[in-house]
Amino acid sequence: MKTYDVVVIGAGSVGTILSYWLAQRGLRTAVVERNASVGRGEHRAAIGGIRATHSDPAKIKIGLRSLEFVRRLKPEFGFDVDYVEGGYLFPAYQEAIAAKLKNLLDAQKVHGLEIDWIGPEEVMELVPGIREEGLLGGTYSPRDGHLSPLKLASASYQMALAAGVDFYFHTTVTGFSVEHGRVAAVKTDGPTFSTRMVVNAAGSNAREIGLLLGTDLPVVPDAHEAGVTEPVERFFYPMVVDIEPTAESENYYFYQDPEGSVIFCITPKPKRLGATKASTSEFLPMVVPRLLRLCPRLRYLRVRRVWRGMYPGTPDDRPIVGFDGNVEGVFHAVGMCGQGLMLGPGLGQLVADRLVGATRPEDEEVFELLSPYREFTAKELLR
Amino acid sequence: MEFSFNGQRMLGQAGEMLASALIANGITAFSRHRHDGAPQGIFCANGQCAQCTVLVNGLPVKSCITPLEEGMAVETLQGLPNLPHTAPELPTHPPRELRCDVLVVGAGPSGIRAAVELGQLGFSVIVADDKGKPGGKLVLQTHKFFGSVEDCFAGTRGHQIAEILGEELRESPSVTLMANTTVAAIFSDGVAALFEENHRFTYVRFRGLIVAAGARERSLVFPGNDLPGVFGAGAFQTLVNRDLIKASERVLIVGCGNVGLIAAYHALQAGITVVGLVDIAPEVTGYKVHADKIKRMGVPLYLRHTVISAEGEGKVERATIAPVDEAGRPLLEEAKTFTVDTVLIAVGLASVDEYFADAQEFGFAVVKTGDADEIAEASSAMLGGRIAGRKMARMLGMDVSVPEEWQRKMDILKSRPGRVSLRPQPEITREFRPVFHCVQEIPCDPCTTVCQFGSIKLSGETGTIMDLPEFDGRCIACGLCVAVCPGLAITLARLSEKAGMAEVVLPLEFALELAPGSAVTVCDREGGVLGRGTVVQKRYFRKYNTHLVTVEVPAAWAPLAAGIRVQEPAEVGPLPEAQFSFFPEDAVVCRCERITVREILEFARANPIHDLNQLKAIRVGMGACGGKTCNVLVPRVLIEAGVDPKSLAPASRRPLTVEIPMWAIGNQEEDGEAQ
Repeated sequence: MKTYDVVVIGAGSVGTILSYWLAQRGLRTAVVERNASVGRGEHRAAIGGIRATHSDPAKIKIGLRSLEFVRRLKPEFGFDVDYVEGGYLFPAYQEAIAAKLKNLLDAQKVHGLEIDWIGPEEVMELVPGIREEGLLGGTYSPRDGHLSPLKLASASYQMALAAGVDFYFHTTVTGFSVEHGRVAAVKTDGPTFSTRMVVNAAGSNAREIGLLLGTDLPVVPDAHEAGVTEPVERFFYPMVVDIEPTAESENYYFYQDPEGSVIFCITPKPKRLGATKASTSEFLPMVVPRLLRLCPRLRYLRVRRVWRGMYPGTPDDRPIVGFDGNVEGVFHAVGMCGQGLMLGPGLGQLVADRLVGATRPEDEEVFELLSPYREFTAKELLR
Repeated sequence: MEFSFNGQRMLGQAGEMLASALIANGITAFSRHRHDGAPQGIFCANGQCAQCTVLVNGLPVKSCITPLEEGMAVETLQGLPNLPHTAPELPTHPPRELRCDVLVVGAGPSGIRAAVELGQLGFSVIVADDKGKPGGKLVLQTHKFFGSVEDCFAGTRGHQIAEILGEELRESPSVTLMANTTVAAIFSDGVAALFEENHRFTYVRFRGLIVAAGARERSLVFPGNDLPGVFGAGAFQTLVNRDLIKASERVLIVGCGNVGLIAAYHALQAGITVVGLVDIAPEVTGYKVHADKIKRMGVPLYLRHTVISAEGEGKVERATIAPVDEAGRPLLEEAKTFTVDTVLIAVGLASVDEYFADAQEFGFAVVKTGDADEIAEASSAMLGGRIAGRKMARMLGMDVSVPEEWQRKMDILKSRPGRVSLRPQPEITREFRPVFHCVQEIPCDPCTTVCQFGSIKLSGETGTIMDLPEFDGRCIACGLCVAVCPGLAITLARLSEKAGMAEVVLPLEFALELAPGSAVTVCDREGGVLGRGTVVQKRYFRKYNTHLVTVEVPAAWAPLAAGIRVQEPAEVGPLPEAQFSFFPEDAVVCRCERITVREILEFARANPIHDLNQLKAIRVGMGACGGKTCNVLVPRVLIEAGVDPKSLAPASRRPLTVEIPMWAIGNQEEDGEAQ
């Protein structure tokens, strides 16, 4: 039997960095992970965009906190995770899309986001070669950016290890012991962990973990596929998000990483539910025509590799963050809806504060909005 | 054909690959790596890595798989390429969809035989192969093959076997060969993606999959391993035997398995000096007949040695080897440096079986065969392919069996070399008789099939084609057994009329003049010099493309004389003093991203490693080749950082196998727009 103050389930986008913050606050912390190393669940599949320009106030707050932390990684902690403040660009070729994007601006600005509408010339300057015909402009948020998910995982792991966190890989949670309504131990296919506090940060497996406690969390993963090209000289910096839907897909997005590769992803329509993580034949014929229509010069780029990962989705596209109502001492930080990479760094700090009872007053709103026991009705306007 | 490289006018042959044309023009460094400007030259010559990348008309291409075209403007790629600013707006088309019962990946000996077997059983089969001609690596083999005459054309040269198999393929009505077509992915939804003729993205739906994708060459970690001039023995065979260019002047070969031994022989035939073969093992791992043949040519073998560095300005100019101690550590004080322009790596092959693993994971009907299943000779791959075809037919519901006979024969053909038995010297009389310099059990029987009197038979304990040949009966010195022997291990001998002299008939596969009366150096089986002999006669056997040289020698040599030396020892010795620096941590492990041993060890010390995927954070395996070369090297490197290689989770497999331009994925050329 191993004894810890807190056991985090999942060494992913949320759990790894959270474990660092918990150890920083003086808690003896273990991370239990079913895969062989950090970030091998869905984190590895993230393409690397990180932004605060959401439309939900809680996500904006967490996103700002994430960006602030990521900017500190190199100067303060010595980890270069290839963070580039390249901004996010949402171009519009249809009046309806332009109107939708413009409508969000006021709400986003209220929360302190730097975002504005820019004209077609500016869009073409940001993405040389983007189709000029019919371009109305777009919204641009220069303070968002991109980073390497692999380097962030590695940095988080090293920070957590240095802070004293113990990691248990190839270890799958099989159940819990509950005494007098409070969690007492985490059972696994390896050691049993005696603990009074558990964080469910199990990503696409969050629902299964919840069910072991008798809590049915509405987290349903859906699959997204992504691809990466050969590297070429840097020719654009922002993450470009085209939200104009077609018959078979919703939005798609792409950016160029510091190595020079263009990395791209698409949201298929309808959602592809199910657990398969292996690439399918539908992705490239779905995304490549859209990329080439938006930016014809991309045709010369060679696609190097493709992969598939899960968006652990929730009914209202917002994360589920808060204490479990059935079992005391259990906290859920799940349902990141494909945004674990960009929410994880900020969320880790908030959750660690919560678990030691030190939530700042201005963060209370986040926990109200993301409560596991909310209504799950209002959809986010722009994911 | 005229083309230009960095503005300089050059000439090449129609139909050859650009890389070969560049090497034939003396260019070894094609481009500069984007990270550190290191020169990049040919490495795999097989379209698998991307080290031979150059710019053609402003766009990066792999020169080893790009056919030369008249007027091509070829340039060095310095750093990263620039994406062209403008592009035509062309319509896109979805992949065309083909259907078949069985998709066979690879048209080598096993893939062809699997396809033909399935075709005979009435299945519709597509065979996709990335090369222009069927036959796989047989196309590159100019030597005569071992094995059995009945089952796998033993005694015939590899490229001729490729043609015979290609003909079998063409004659199978329900089998379609798609040449110049790379299988780029096996997707989980039951679709294979083909990159067809380098311009079209095509999907195939199949009921069963046969993976006959062959093997890739293993590489080696040593300082200087990244210099242009260090490449695989298979790459060398592609350049020399397929594209017929003299890729080197002087080579050192690392590895004394059959691949290294044969590469040495091919090099000698191409007029290239071979300064030696090196192997860390205490004994030759390839066939002894091959090794003996190489020794007779005058090539030294350095066993219990390893290569410790390759050095030079922008390309290999010298290489240094050293003996190793019991623990495999090099003894630097005994190092030897050779002047060479090429170091060939022949340290083994690794199965290309990723699609098998994918298909199994997805629950498809799948069989792997040939080198993709187990590294062995092409002879066994031919039978293996037939067996794979039958197995697939069964998986698809047909009631056929796999004859036990096939399995038994294949197991024999796969055999590792067996015992060495030194037989008593035969008595040489005034009548010609064959003398066998073949002393090790290997699966081989051509000599028994050509004697018109049936005077050569195999005899021994195994009762199979592993047994050694023996002569009993009549010999009229027709020379067929000498000409057919793949090991060049049969001679004819008789005492001549001149007292104390004898005549020996020796096989020769070199274009040497050897006029009657000229003197040659005659060697015994293992290359020991017997002395000078006088050429009496030279005959040419067209069918076997082999010369038979009759040499007059002292009678005492008659049972011993086995070959003619073609390379003098003075040409191949080391420099008087070793000349090298030794910084093993400088060795490059991931060639695409240029990650060194040092960087990997530093990362491993900061980041406990449980999973090869962790190393992607420093970009190991993230380059163009997708870890094809380094994934097998990294675990050994990590031992130094205290990592147990067995505890490592493997690097994940991801499509695509080759990089494909978006215009091809969108099939933008379908409307006839020229690239």
